[in-house]
Amino acid sequence: MAMLANPYILQQGLSKELEPFPHIIEFSIKKIQTIHLNSLPIGKSNNCKIYYIHEGRYDWSIDGTCHILYPGDLALIMPGQSFGGVRDFLDIGALCLMMLDIDRSGDHGFGKWSGLSSLESRSIRKILLLNDMPVVAGCKDAGLLFQAIGRELQGQELGFQTRINHLTDSLLILIARQLSKQNNSHRDFPRTFMKLEQELRENLSNQWTVEEMAALVGLGTTAFTQKVKSYTGFSPMSYLINIRISEAIKLLKRTDVNLTDVALDTGFYSSQHFSTTFKKLTGYTPSQFRKNNTDNI
Amino acid sequence: MSHQQQMDCILTIDLGTGAVRIFAFDMNGSVIGSMKGSYPTFHREPDQSEQDPEQVFITVLYVLKNLLNDRIHPAGYKVVAICFSAAMHSVLSVDKKGVPLGNAITWSDNRGKKEAQQLKSTAAGKAIYDATGTPIHPMSPLIKITWMRHHDKTRFEGTARFLSLKSYIIHQLTGENLIDYSLASATGLFNIHRFDWDQAALDHAGITAEQLPDLVPVFYSKPRLRREFQTSLGLSPDTRIIVGASDGVLATLGAGVWDEGKATITVEQSGAVRVVGRDVLQDSQQRFFNYVLTENYYVSGGPTNNGGVIFEWFTREFGAFRRAFDLEDTMEELIQQASKIPAGSDGLLFLPYLLGERAPIWNANARGLYFGLNMQHRQQHFIRATIEGILYEIYSIGKTLEEHRAIHTLSVNGSFTSFPFWAQMISDIFNLPVHVKNNSDSIGLGAFLVTATEMGMYKTLEEAARTIDTPVMYRPDKKDNAVYMRYFRIFERLSTKLSEDFEEIANLQGM
Repeated sequence: MAMLANPYILQQGLSKELEPFPHIIEFSIKKIQTIHLNSLPIGKSNNCKIYYIHEGRYDWSIDGTCHILYPGDLALIMPGQSFGGVRDFLDIGALCLMMLDIDRSGDHGFGKWSGLSSLESRSIRKILLLNDMPVVAGCKDAGLLFQAIGRELQGQELGFQTRINHLTDSLLILIARQLSKQNNSHRDFPRTFMKLEQELRENLSNQWTVEEMAALVGLGTTAFTQKVKSYTGFSPMSYLINIRISEAIKLLKRTDVNLTDVALDTGFYSSQHFSTTFKKLTGYTPSQFRKNNTDNI
Repeated sequence: MSHQQQMDCILTIDLGTGAVRIFAFDMNGSVIGSMKGSYPTFHREPDQSEQDPEQVFITVLYVLKNLLNDRIHPAGYKVVAICFSAAMHSVLSVDKKGVPLGNAITWSDNRGKKEAQQLKSTAAGKAIYDATGTPIHPMSPLIKITWMRHHDKTRFEGTARFLSLKSYIIHQLTGENLIDYSLASATGLFNIHRFDWDQAALDHAGITAEQLPDLVPVFYSKPRLRREFQTSLGLSPDTRIIVGASDGVLATLGAGVWDEGKATITVEQSGAVRVVGRDVLQDSQQRFFNYVLTENYYVSGGPTNNGGVIFEWFTREFGAFRRAFDLEDTMEELIQQASKIPAGSDGLLFLPYLLGERAPIWNANARGLYFGLNMQHRQQHFIRATIEGILYEIYSIGKTLEEHRAIHTLSVNGSFTSFPFWAQMISDIFNLPVHVKNNSDSIGLGAFLVTATEMGMYKTLEEAARTIDTPVMYRPDKKDNAVYMRYFRIFERLSTKLSEDFEEIANLQGM
């Protein structure tokens, strides 16, 4: 295992090293040699915390579930989740922590500091928020990124600002990729696809892209498109249109939702777009269809 | 376009358990194109399996439209008939406007476990089984509607008609409210001797015949496509819509199984062994289904829950997966390893009842077991034992069928029998010559034969079935058969002997 640098704690507002990085609330490397009772009580986290374990064993409660972490493991706690030590204290060992100010609902990128495109950061944010397994096991690459960020923060050599922002992006990308791989064991496509299906249904008005869907499953777009095609017979976008039209049909059979709302709720960007797609597939315009299906037979 | 003459073709639409498959046949019965589209099954509760009727319908339209536009119309074909097949046992409630009340409940739904148990052992239950041919089981629409009557009163009382998914799709396309004798015979509500709804079964479910679709023969061809679909799909107003049958009986027909002496084995996720005959199989232990093919013929047999799904489970848990989601190659690799172990897996035996079991033991509490383990057994033994266990279970269905019918040859189909290793093992365990066919092809071909017979190309279905060629592709190895039979005796004993322990462990598992 790589040598752990000397422990230190940098905090926004207290440490000048963090001044160029307003989004980093804390960056620290901790060695815990004695147990302090109540040093890590369970409470609601109001920012994003990324822990990387160097030494020791940690029993933590994250979002109501207990996790055991060993060296090389990474834990991700998102804003709003509950977090703390199972015995309310920080166990003996060594770990790194990076605390980030990430807006939970932000629709745009992670901030000016990030070089990620808005599409990429939207996908990453979705994966980070979706994950029901907040621990990435055996994530040594994250340890290396932590070390590099630490070195840059302390050295402040030419270009350190850019380097640190890149490294932070890299860390987020690494976590998102690992999480989506880990949450989708890559053995059971039907189950993985059902999870994606459910996600699409719950956010049907979202303007989904193939890249976004593939990212959720943890595949590249080419492999994802092939897999969906051979499993369902449809391209990912056609499959999505299928769900949109099926949901629209249900809404059309209720008379209390107007046609524009049906279109927008099911992810069509206009009632015109809805009407054309609907007629092409079913042979009826939405209003003809509604009329035919709300009269007694 | 050229001046070439339009050629006729026939479409078959199969509403399967997870996907719709559409085949186009020329008038000689050769496939000129096929396409599939899948729809999801929802499990809101562990015991529940449902499908969205609107999504099924949209998927049918989508696939139909693509097949017509990409393959059929450009090649100069004119569709003269469309014939339907469908998975059995689905139930869909619709209100008086024909609007679905929630999702369709599909065959694998188990919510009616208690209702089935209560009815099965009674004299009334036995009489209903004898009359309807459908085993008293949660899969049966009779039980599903009974469950709804007691546990979902709002839906039950608001239901103007209880449809099958196929009836719903045909209604959407044609406006007719129909169910064929074949699919009706899998509802547990249809009297297979009198070809009408069974009053005792209706009374038990608490419904009237008016709440069910109109009964028609499988050859019924009066419906016509709604005008909007004629236009949007580019189909002629004269296109015959033939109501067709259930997937199981059509797969049997399409596999060329008709004569005394032939049986068909299907191994998909689940599996079944089936025979065709003029009489129903009477069984005091209610082990078989008897489904209607036509007014003169029945398809009888037994279903297993634990077919290929068990090998997929094994592969997912223990396979190497060198590439993401590469189930096919991983299965191939495991099978290759299994083939290096001798028949009988050196005494390692597997009971495959991970999903409980239907035929022949009909025990929902049954569970899986590896038996006979010793220090010599290696990983490969588990792979082979798992496949052997799945096929012993299928043999145990075949063996009970042989008490009633002589079986001399097997026509096997389903995705798992396309592995030569499996097909050979079936031949060895049954000690019978085996012919292999693709299952979805068999269903499509069965529907084609129904259509061709309806259109007068064959005089009878029997004559149509005889045109299916079933050359022997695998012959049994007598030595391996002898080995298998020694282990099968233990397999059979364990399956029944353990019933008390099965019940206790199932209770502990809370399932």
